[in-house]
Amino acid sequence: MTRTRRWAVVAVGVLLVVGVPVAIRAIPPSDSDVGAGELLAAVAGSEDHPWSGYVETEGALDLPVEDDFSDVGSLFGESTRMRAWWRGDDDWRVDRLLVAGETDLVHHSGLTIEWSYEGDRARLSRDPDIRLPRTADLVPPVLAERLLRDVDAGDVVRIEARRVAGVDAPGLRLEPTAPQASVDHVDLWADPESGIPLRIEVFAAGEPSPSFTTEFRDFSAATPATAATDFPAAPGIEVDHDDVLDIADAANQYAPLRPPDRVGGLAKSSTSDGAVGVYGVGLTQLIAIPMRDREADPLREQLGQTPGVRHLAAGTAVSAGPLGVLLTGEDGDGGWLLAGTVTETTLVEAAGDLARGTTYLQDDS
Amino acid sequence: MIAVELRKLLLSRRTWVTILLIDALPTLVGVLLAVTDLGPRPGTGPAFLSAVLTDGTLFPLAALAIVLPLFLPIAVAVTAGEAIAGEAQQGTLRYLLVRPVGRTRLLVAKLVGVMVFVVLTVLVVAATAYVVGVVLLGSEDVTTGATSVSGSSLSTQELAGRTMLALAYAMLCMLGVAAIALFLSTVVTTPLAAALGTLGVLVTSTVLLTLDAADVLQPYLPTRYWLSFVDLFRDPILWRDVERGVLLQIVYVVVFLGAAWANFATKDITD
Repeated sequence: MTRTRRWAVVAVGVLLVVGVPVAIRAIPPSDSDVGAGELLAAVAGSEDHPWSGYVETEGALDLPVEDDFSDVGSLFGESTRMRAWWRGDDDWRVDRLLVAGETDLVHHSGLTIEWSYEGDRARLSRDPDIRLPRTADLVPPVLAERLLRDVDAGDVVRIEARRVAGVDAPGLRLEPTAPQASVDHVDLWADPESGIPLRIEVFAAGEPSPSFTTEFRDFSAATPATAATDFPAAPGIEVDHDDVLDIADAANQYAPLRPPDRVGGLAKSSTSDGAVGVYGVGLTQLIAIPMRDREADPLREQLGQTPGVRHLAAGTAVSAGPLGVLLTGEDGDGGWLLAGTVTETTLVEAAGDLARGTTYLQDDS
Repeated sequence: MIAVELRKLLLSRRTWVTILLIDALPTLVGVLLAVTDLGPRPGTGPAFLSAVLTDGTLFPLAALAIVLPLFLPIAVAVTAGEAIAGEAQQGTLRYLLVRPVGRTRLLVAKLVGVMVFVVLTVLVVAATAYVVGVVLLGSEDVTTGATSVSGSSLSTQELAGRTMLALAYAMLCMLGVAAIALFLSTVVTTPLAAALGTLGVLVTSTVLLTLDAADVLQPYLPTRYWLSFVDLFRDPILWRDVERGVLLQIVYVVVFLGAAWANFATKDITD
């Protein structure tokens, strides 16, 4: 065989190895003629449908938050790999896959076990209504459920289908109508059979690429086995009980105050019955957490060092994509931490409403 | 021909000094861990290193995670890079080819030699680490087994089986490195250039893996799935990246060995 022929054999081999997968991916997904309303209904109807799969998220929201806020910063600002088994809202397991370990959430009967391999610890906690976001909130079906709350057929339009996890998934676009919203639009693609959302992209106004993306890379709509959502702790693992899940839960339980029923033109959520206020619904939501000075001061310092920080009369404000953050008060004062997918004007208005409308509870001690 | 190459490899003092040096780092880490009882903080340090403080039988995996990103590929690149270019530099290649030996056979013999070096190195590192782990750090209770990355229990048999799979996976990854180095060894005339060229490819791959803009290239980079052997210790095993890693390394091996063969079979030998 001549030198030219040998190189030709190698070149053909390389072309096959590289070209075949590229060619397969280049085949356009087949779209369906399902209407926007029909697809929205299918997505809404899939909320109780079991599923399992491998999920990747990609966040471009560089949040200036520190350790008190657990892993919120990395969840929204980095890429996260997860695998999840979902038998129902009260029976699921979501593993956050790390290079050298994993952090798992296993949920049963209103209780969640968080297992950290690298930390070699398991923590059992109840599932409070008010808490910081966690991995299980970012898998496409769960995020979609939150984003599409109170959305009707008139708010969505169809977009082109996209192949997600091997499924030719028809797409929907949702544009918020609330004047307080900072999200420009959300694109969602769903499994045409089950209606389960497979990929979601969240766009801020004027941004060509999504601020946050979550999608299945492997997906199954079959019911996972019972054992898949168990946590069969190895002997030697002690499960600690946590009364307080995170800083939001702690403030909600113990801060002696109640925020007003309405801030920045947004109504308080029915789940918000403690010191932390959750306002708005779907794409336009805002959380207000009261903070003591020992928590607020380091956060204020961190926000102050963030590029693009604005020192307003209402407090220290930063924004990351569609997410706005405002910390009221000054050093030594404590303050309200307001964060959400709302405009800065709304955050400032909300801060004013909180200053005027907060009720302080009688201290019994 | 293969026997000659193997004898040369096994009788070479350099082979054993190289393996000893690779083996020294995890051994030192094991001794330090045993003496100080200080593991890395969660989320830092190589995989399994925190876990070995309570279960020394996991130390072969920690040792693998320590040597796989840097030490092992350097050694493989140097050894494989020398295969053809080393003979050329010493002026022995033309004499070698005067004998009734096909060039393809010579290439295969060199490849087998490098493969044996990889297998030997990985096994020596794993065996030493096992001994260091069990003697200095203690072993798990045989009745309860080890703890998987997902927090469930792994029996001793399961742990041994998965460890063997992880070692085989690491060997395959290094075979990919060897194939690149072997190809470059047929292109350049000095082993140093072949080894540096291979390390250049690996460093480029590692840098691109940290770059979001290179997202589209990442699944095809040679180092992309090297540490996916950790997925073998999740429960259930996460085969996704391991399968992709195996496939990718096979492609690298086939393509670069093919290129080495295409280049070497009728190359003009002047050295």
